[in-house]
Amino acid sequence: MTMQWSQFWGLYYREILRTFRNPFVLLVTVVQPFMWLAFFGSSFANAPKAELVAFFGSSNYIAFLLAGTLSTSMLSVGMFGAMSTIQDKRFGFMKRILITPTSKGVVFLSKALGGATRGLVQFPIMIAAAFAFGVRFNLSPVEWIAWVVALMLLAVGFASLFLAVTASSTDWQTPGVVSNFITMPLMFASSALFGSTYFPWWMKAISSVNPITFSTLFGRSLVLGTPVDWVYFGYLAIFAGLMISIGYVVSARWLKID
Amino acid sequence: MTDGPAIEVRGVSKRYGSGDTAVLALDQVNLSVAKGSVFGLLGPNGAGKTTLIKVLTGISPMSSGDASVAGFDVRRESLEVRARIGWVAAEVILDDDFSGWENLWLQARLQDLKGWEPRATQLLEYFSLIDRKDDKVSHYSTGMRKKLEIALALLHQPVVIFMDEPTIGLDVSTRRMLWDIVTGIHKEFGVTVLLTTHYIEEADALCDRIAIIDQGKIIAEGTPSELKARVKADVVQLETSEAIDPARISAIPGVQEVRAQGNDWMIRTERSEEFLPRLFQTVQPQLIRRISVDKPSLETVFLELTGRRIGQEEPMRDIRKFYAQMRRTRH
Repeated sequence: MTMQWSQFWGLYYREILRTFRNPFVLLVTVVQPFMWLAFFGSSFANAPKAELVAFFGSSNYIAFLLAGTLSTSMLSVGMFGAMSTIQDKRFGFMKRILITPTSKGVVFLSKALGGATRGLVQFPIMIAAAFAFGVRFNLSPVEWIAWVVALMLLAVGFASLFLAVTASSTDWQTPGVVSNFITMPLMFASSALFGSTYFPWWMKAISSVNPITFSTLFGRSLVLGTPVDWVYFGYLAIFAGLMISIGYVVSARWLKID
Repeated sequence: MTDGPAIEVRGVSKRYGSGDTAVLALDQVNLSVAKGSVFGLLGPNGAGKTTLIKVLTGISPMSSGDASVAGFDVRRESLEVRARIGWVAAEVILDDDFSGWENLWLQARLQDLKGWEPRATQLLEYFSLIDRKDDKVSHYSTGMRKKLEIALALLHQPVVIFMDEPTIGLDVSTRRMLWDIVTGIHKEFGVTVLLTTHYIEEADALCDRIAIIDQGKIIAEGTPSELKARVKADVVQLETSEAIDPARISAIPGVQEVRAQGNDWMIRTERSEEFLPRLFQTVQPQLIRRISVDKPSLETVFLELTGRRIGQEEPMRDIRKFYAQMRRTRH
């Protein structure tokens, strides 16, 4: 176990360090959700406040949107994690890792958790941006931590999903194609941008099992100060656990080296 | 580790794919590499050298056979094997975002080494990289990158180092430097080296023993002197512009053997110095398009065993056919 921990820490730290040493990746990671918040969030800036409160539960649409934007941005975490793995395969670094006593499972866990941690860099920036747009927060320290952990669970789940789907691929295009395929349905069939009250039945059905909805509703209730439903936190833990298990097994069996 | 050989390969085959499209990359390979030796695997591109390294390092499963490295079974004790081997790739593989020291740190983590720092410092000093240890490796020269890669391979004090075409694509001076390093680390660190190469002179200069591999099979094995002693004649290769009766060439005094493929000839003769003037008396010089003479060397050993040179992947006549076809298509 000590050996696996040593290997995991080395590879995890490498993932984090590579992100922070690449200013462009860092910039895009932060700017992309910020743009969503600024452009999409401002689209209701001049709407009558009474209607905003009636529809979104807040006179500030950005307060409603924040948790959803943070949740959907965790989808890109998976894509970057898968791309980083494919880069290691194509440049031979995966071979360098696996010629040591490191198992494919440890490689998978370091990629999934490294990608998720990288995604959470967005959190403080987005909170600061929302504050600048007039959102006020009234969360206890425990609630702040719970929100971050909920996003971490979502990110780890998506990173694991992407890594499992792309385990046997060495094609640069695969993560992008997978991302395009799952991002739109998961984003729009969730409560990230709008409440699901007026969804058709089939979108409601997808939304009710969509982890983005769980994360969004959990975070939104914290921001808007409405009663927090902790069952969503539990759903996210189950989602993350399930995806990690699938990703671990798939990677151990099918992770292609070159 | 036991007192047995550092590497033992028994009837190892490796097949890629299945059915009609299956490719047999290794065919019943048997090898034994003594501890503390530099063993060369010499063969042309696609002969199966890299595949054998992949099998022995556990990267790729063998289809059949048995192999052990550092006393551990490659299939059943893969983790034990991987804790005792180092690897130097044909292309330099390092993390360019990391410094030299950070690359060593990562290697120490992957090998779960405690107190690795003095050893890393010693290696950096040995390879004259200590002053650049905190520089990003993307700023290193090719030679420095190669040295760092070897330092990574040596960090955990491996029993065996696999060097897969370590000098491919390097300029002459860097290649010479690497040869010195291979000889140096072998003496200094007492490590067994399995080196693959398709450079004849490299195998000759570095290796205690050499196995010649072609189309997945080991076709000869021995010390460089033993292998060269197999060829007791000069080899003259000849290409003529028109067909010649082989009996005319066989009749030249000193000729031991004549092999012909169309207008391509391989002639074994006792002394080429005496043979060539007689050849020009027998065959009109204007009929000779190309001629080359090889004194006994690993190149002639390979030539004698396979009928072609290392690096000559396709027989020349097929290339000419290809160009002739291209010309016809154009007209």
